[in-house]
Amino acid sequence: MAEEKGLEQLKKEAAEKAKAAAAAREKGAASAKVKEEPAEKAKPSPNQHILDKYVQEIENHLGKEILEDSYINRLSKDIPTLVAKPDTYRKVAELLKYNEQLAFDYLSELHGGDFETHMEVYVHLYSFTNQQAVALKVKIERSNLEIPSLVPLWEGANWPECETYDLLGIRFTGHPDLKRILLGEEWIGYPLRKDYEPYDVEV
Amino acid sequence: MIRTEEMLLNVGPQHPSTHGVFRLVIKIDGEIIKEATPVIGYLHRGTEKLAEDLQYTQIIPYTDRMDYLAAMTNNYVLCHAVETMAGIIAPDRAEYLRVIAMELGRIASHLVWWGTYLLDIGATSPFLYAFREREMIINMLNELSGARLTFNYMRVGGVKWDAPEGWIQKVHDFVPYMREQLEGYHQLVTGNEIFMSRVKGIGSYTKEDAINYSLSGANLRCTGVKWDLRKNEPYSIYDRFDFDIPVRQDGDAWARYHCRLEEIEESLKILEQAVEQFPQDGPILAKVPKIIKPPKGESFVRIESPRGEIGCYIASNGKKEPYRLKFRRPSFYNLQILPKLLKGENMANLITILGAIDIVLGEVDG
Amino acid sequence: MLGLMKGLGYTMKNLTRKKVTYDYPNKPLPLPDRFRGIQKFYPEKCIVCNQCVNICPTDCIQLTGKKHPDPTKRGKLIDTYDINFEICILCDLCTEVCPTESIVMTNNFELAEYSRDELFKNLEWLDENDENIRKVNKV
Ligand code: SF4
Ligand code: SF4
Repeated sequence: MAEEKGLEQLKKEAAEKAKAAAAAREKGAASAKVKEEPAEKAKPSPNQHILDKYVQEIENHLGKEILEDSYINRLSKDIPTLVAKPDTYRKVAELLKYNEQLAFDYLSELHGGDFETHMEVYVHLYSFTNQQAVALKVKIERSNLEIPSLVPLWEGANWPECETYDLLGIRFTGHPDLKRILLGEEWIGYPLRKDYEPYDVEV
Repeated sequence: MIRTEEMLLNVGPQHPSTHGVFRLVIKIDGEIIKEATPVIGYLHRGTEKLAEDLQYTQIIPYTDRMDYLAAMTNNYVLCHAVETMAGIIAPDRAEYLRVIAMELGRIASHLVWWGTYLLDIGATSPFLYAFREREMIINMLNELSGARLTFNYMRVGGVKWDAPEGWIQKVHDFVPYMREQLEGYHQLVTGNEIFMSRVKGIGSYTKEDAINYSLSGANLRCTGVKWDLRKNEPYSIYDRFDFDIPVRQDGDAWARYHCRLEEIEESLKILEQAVEQFPQDGPILAKVPKIIKPPKGESFVRIESPRGEIGCYIASNGKKEPYRLKFRRPSFYNLQILPKLLKGENMANLITILGAIDIVLGEVDG
Repeated sequence: MLGLMKGLGYTMKNLTRKKVTYDYPNKPLPLPDRFRGIQKFYPEKCIVCNQCVNICPTDCIQLTGKKHPDPTKRGKLIDTYDINFEICILCDLCTEVCPTESIVMTNNFELAEYSRDELFKNLEWLDENDENIRKVNKV
């Protein structure tokens, strides 16, 4: 739990860093380990304008309060990261695909993660038309592990969503054939959850 | 009137042409495939779950076992992810060794594909020739790392071993030899009429489909998308080499065949330059703490493996073990298009289409 | 037809080439020094630091130490040392971390046994395994 908070904090930090560059210096504790040049730390990321463009585009079309958060993830090669809400996730994804400014036609990666307080789905998108990348994330309540499927938008999300369902138990509504792709239907429990108890300790 | 009946047929899981344990449930009507459902997971070892209890160095041997035909790229993607997070820069000499090892692996992997693919569709001798050359590469990598397939060679911040005496020269000599053999391969197979009629126009898809289905590697390039992460998102030292990205327009098995063989040529070019530029001396490991603890946060990196885009996602909470580790395994994504390709195809084309995707089951199942 | 003939030409050319196969097992396989086979253990060198146990990704090493019999000397002596070869993946990490090089790799890879129990290698076995020891263990 405590670590989770730390993680959250860092993400916020990263966001703030991007927005107000000067504020970054105070919070040395966690980011000191990143062996970046101090000057670079203060500088806004070279991808900042790209992130601004994405956010602008989303706000123009879907309105404000759509995104939970947006920041540059410095640890991940400065990728612009958007955090959607569970109910806006599908809308955002749709816009990301069909808007001409964004045009993310390639789903590079989709997976989930259990962060104990909540679960997360991480999607890495790329646009061949505009040569740009974005990470789309969404946090899901553990009590209601349901999220719209992205298969209608990107066929490539099919198996990864099955895998996420199989290993974490996140259900994707609207998925054409959601099945336990790796472990088989008779498997008990979702192994990648942090509270998973192995059925047979020996194996 | 001949009456046909729909029949359910299992291909695999123990079928030589599936290159591992992979099952395909197909519904056929006469000779025509009505529906194909891949069944995977026979080789699932839970690498991602295991990794949550392991230090980063300990995970490296596990990555060897994903794509066991080109384990060097798997080693690299994990190290690269950790290095990206922790801001570690590997020394030059290490990067050169890595690139040489990865490119050798790429050639070896494509050779296996070439040999087994032709074996699948009925030609025995190319397999033997391909393995003859592959054996040379494997021996070289064995000399370098101490294992033939499961190298466990790279470390966060560098590599484990320096090149042994005379090894670089061996790589240097291998390049012209391989070029010559490659020409021979073309002579042996590429012009063969039987082969051409088996693969031309088979299993074709459009560029839009390829992108929509998240295909990568030669499966994507065969439709005319000029996309190679070594060029488009340069990592390591790939920006120092001059090489091309082979592309074809047709999107069929024939195009994929050409893309892969041409990729061998490009890899040879890289090898040639890497050997030439190879630094005389220098460290092979950056100064890294014994126990590596990347900062809190998450990171996703992707690199180009012989099969396509291999990615590694790490969520770290600052401890020595990853909080969540995830590999984007190209074969897993590439295989998704199979049911679509097989629908309505002739039964005889099944193996031709499956083989052309180039899957490794260790990677599909993670 | 032309393509077929050309292919045949390549086959013909290869008839005269030198053989590339080995006469294994009649002749031993040539292996590089770095090759990783089953470990050799030097009990007298071991300082019971437990580093190998900690690094092993599959947890296949088990060891116990005992106090030094000479009370004037500090440190410990090795008492038992077992490697479970059913699950060892020969990853080389134990030999990499060992500060005294008391566990090193050999080139012996022929490990087939009739029973799984025999894959459980103890201190004596690992000590006697002293052929084809790797010469260079650290860079
Ligand atoms: S080689 Fe690897 S798996 Fe085997 S005992 Fe050593 S550390 Fe463990
Ligand atoms: S690392 Fe070496 S010295 Fe330490 S306990 Fe293991 S074998 Fe003995």
